[in-house]
Amino acid sequence: MQLIRPESHISGAEASRPEQLRASHPTFAEFMRRARAAGTLVVQPRMGVADPALMRAGLLTVKHAGPSTAGTITLDSFTRVGDHAAARHALDTGADLNGYPLVVHGPTVTAALLEGVRDARFPVQVRHGSAVPQAIIAAAAAAGLDATEGGPVSYCLPYGRTPLATSVRNWTEACELLADVPDSHLETFGGCMLGQLCPPSLLVALSVLECLFFAQHGIRSVSLSYAQQTDPRQDLEAVAALRRLAGELLTGLDWHIVIYTYMGVFPRTPDGALALLEESARLAVRSGASRLIVKTVAEAHRIPTFAENVQALRAASAAADRARLVVPYTDPGESEVYLEARALIHAVLDLAADHRDDLGHALSTAFRRGLLDVPFCLHPDNAGRARSRLDDDGRLHWSDVGAMPIRPRPGRSSTTAQSAQNTQTAHDSPPPPLRSSDLLTSLTYVERRYDTATPAPLEPSPNPAIPRSTAMPALSDTPPTSVRAHLSDPATRNTLLIQNSIVAATREHLGALGFTEMLPPIIGPVTDPGGRGSKQVDVDFYGHPYKLMTSAILYKQASLLAFDKIFCIAPNVRLEPLETCTTSRHLAEFHQIDVEIAGATREQAMAVAESIVVGAIRRVLAERDAELAALGRDTAPFAEVLEWPFDHVSHADAVADLRTLGLEQSADAEIEWRNEEILSGKAGRPFFVTDYPKGSRGFYDRESRTEPGRLRNFDLIAPEGYGELASGSEREYEYARIVTRIRESGENPAKYGWYLDMAREGIQGSAGFGIGLERLTRYIAGLTSVWQASAYPKVPGVVSA
Amino acid sequence: MPSDLLTGAGPGPDAAAPSRSASASAIATTATTATATAIVTGTASDAHTWNLVFLQLLLEELGHEVANLGPCVPDAELVDACRRTAPSLVVVSSVNGHGVSDGLRVIRRLREQRGLDGTPIVIGGKLGISGADNARHADRLLAAGFDGVFDDAAGLSLFQSYVTALPAGRAS
Repeated sequence: MQLIRPESHISGAEASRPEQLRASHPTFAEFMRRARAAGTLVVQPRMGVADPALMRAGLLTVKHAGPSTAGTITLDSFTRVGDHAAARHALDTGADLNGYPLVVHGPTVTAALLEGVRDARFPVQVRHGSAVPQAIIAAAAAAGLDATEGGPVSYCLPYGRTPLATSVRNWTEACELLADVPDSHLETFGGCMLGQLCPPSLLVALSVLECLFFAQHGIRSVSLSYAQQTDPRQDLEAVAALRRLAGELLTGLDWHIVIYTYMGVFPRTPDGALALLEESARLAVRSGASRLIVKTVAEAHRIPTFAENVQALRAASAAADRARLVVPYTDPGESEVYLEARALIHAVLDLAADHRDDLGHALSTAFRRGLLDVPFCLHPDNAGRARSRLDDDGRLHWSDVGAMPIRPRPGRSSTTAQSAQNTQTAHDSPPPPLRSSDLLTSLTYVERRYDTATPAPLEPSPNPAIPRSTAMPALSDTPPTSVRAHLSDPATRNTLLIQNSIVAATREHLGALGFTEMLPPIIGPVTDPGGRGSKQVDVDFYGHPYKLMTSAILYKQASLLAFDKIFCIAPNVRLEPLETCTTSRHLAEFHQIDVEIAGATREQAMAVAESIVVGAIRRVLAERDAELAALGRDTAPFAEVLEWPFDHVSHADAVADLRTLGLEQSADAEIEWRNEEILSGKAGRPFFVTDYPKGSRGFYDRESRTEPGRLRNFDLIAPEGYGELASGSEREYEYARIVTRIRESGENPAKYGWYLDMAREGIQGSAGFGIGLERLTRYIAGLTSVWQASAYPKVPGVVSA
Repeated sequence: MPSDLLTGAGPGPDAAAPSRSASASAIATTATTATATAIVTGTASDAHTWNLVFLQLLLEELGHEVANLGPCVPDAELVDACRRTAPSLVVVSSVNGHGVSDGLRVIRRLREQRGLDGTPIVIGGKLGISGADNARHADRLLAAGFDGVFDDAAGLSLFQSYVTALPAGRAS
């Protein structure tokens, strides 16, 4: 596929141009090349004031805010629209201007304010927003500035009524002016458009197309923008698509990716605003972007002060440093975003091919024909047929692609951006009318999410013992960065002493009940197939593929060949999905108190599990009150716990309970983590959920003979929001049933060789369970996060000791 | 919640000055419906879009045909569109803090037109920079010829009641 045509102006033949035109001062482009080579994330504010002395002070403040900041001169509205007389008048009369009037101040004033500010460690970019940018570019160049932003589409369609063809002509001239500045740089604003509710594929396509347009008019160093949207995973996919397409199409150009912190309705609380900013910094680092334009805590209220900008730059840099602990995002290749964006770009390149490779003409034509169509954009030159929606999963999708050359995915349920009663697929019927209340709900989705329940970041602040505020408990949930700091922390020592009491109490209790403790294996040819998307770890056992144990289940059943009642405290390794690192209760490596009882019923197993939990709490209350007090654990709720037995609720009743709360929960699946947390938060003491549907659990949970499809199993849920503590069941033990269940779960029975051999010869019926030791410790000690209950925590995705 | 929309939903740069190179052609295609039409418009200096999209949907739910002129509409284009359309209602929305000055200027030009002297014309949004002066702003805007002034979030339910009571609304 030939996307860059040899006869086009966009070929790599001119790639050496930056060397040919030497700049007299360190350029923005050169600064970014060095930052990219060093792998640092450059952070940059939006900032502009009318007074040159104040503008200089602001730039110096940003320069000293951190080691990798870039400066910005944001221009005022009059300069933006080319009304320099109005800007002059405002300066003369002392009226307010909302930015720096670059053209009116002239090159001498601007060059003087940059003197000693801009250098090899601190570049300065001009940001404006103009569809008439020629005078701005000329004034910037005359003052020695070499970098700016914009684009013929992105600075035209969202902001008024300048005809697109006029904007294309203006930007053609502007690019040619800027191309005469040595090593000049131009950033596309195409990754933003209306700021929100634009599906990422169109943002990606416009970013790439505008950069191709810049290149066609002589610009050799460009940046591709992408504005943070509603879902971190979709954003990662989008930036990967942007990078892939840039690699394919921007041959011979110097380019990097710049992320904009969310451009839509912003959280009003400082905590919510900072959390959203930090999420954007994580996106930038994990997606391999080179630069981030930040937003501040003032965003929802007013223009930020210099100090608020510095706070934002520092918070973003710190979040970026922490994000480096998380494994980088892997490009998924031909993702949905990539395929859609590529189709949109191709459609425009094909139009250009029919018209002397004129991309500007092709962009105008594409919008006129609706081949590019920005949803909700009211500009007369935008077709206005495309519609987007925010789905229940938080991702942006097309509900109507209009005439764009892409096919929307089959529809899915959505109650946020379209009415709930109309959820037919998007491709066989027109989308239902969007209601004003749905639009408001969609527009404020991010704001509400961050203001009300700040989502847990992937790797929060390095101060686990000190929550930043009660509104943001998740931010205290930071895995330790140092083994020494963690193990010498009094909180860790107190926690491990409590854990020690739990283990001792359990051993004594089970011993008294006649259980024998077995020492569990940690590798074997096969292990628990697990659930909820966790992965197994392979071990090369002299050429045979062995696994690390994800649970002891197969060996627990085997152990009953030796003793009727066994238990072990077994290490398990499950590579949980990366998103579980934010649940506060998943560790990739953890321990279970594993119990198995020959000939027992589920109810007998539940009674033993109950007695372990109650016994552990009694022991800790008796032995470790000082440690509990030091950790700040309120022990009053335990009074209720000690009055067992615990309540039982069936899975079906739990689902009904959740639905009466207005929550979504499938009757045929595992209880969602967040829902389980809600049930847990409502409860005053631990309770059992029984009778999960088949398919939600492993093949070894026995299926009810009287109620097919229901499992004879249970979960034990802690109160106070701590969630699941234990899982257990009666077991399948008849060979034919086991094989059937393995097959039903989509697995090959052959891989369970030794286990099935054993079962074929006959094993006892049994019931048993596993209690998560770190989770039980977390609950009893009252910890924010489960990793605090581990000496060497392995949080999913976080590289550690 | 509406105030969140009205204050925070603007696109990237806070483009807040008039576009002087606008075209009138598109209005002809969007605003010449045969039935009585409500016109929704931003002010000349206001580049915000989401408030206008929201108002269009709301008015459609209340039974109106809507011609949405979009953001940054110069006074002359709004006057032109109103003369050609003979709208049942004109809704001017402003959230950039310049609503009072933009509104005072454009209402005089609208009321000068024959045929628009009796048309319901209202303004709403975040009209001034400081909340304290809002009552005074409303008096000036009403005196200048607006039929209704709906400031900020509290204004939205009043606006809905006002529109519902109009003869061209759902009741007709």
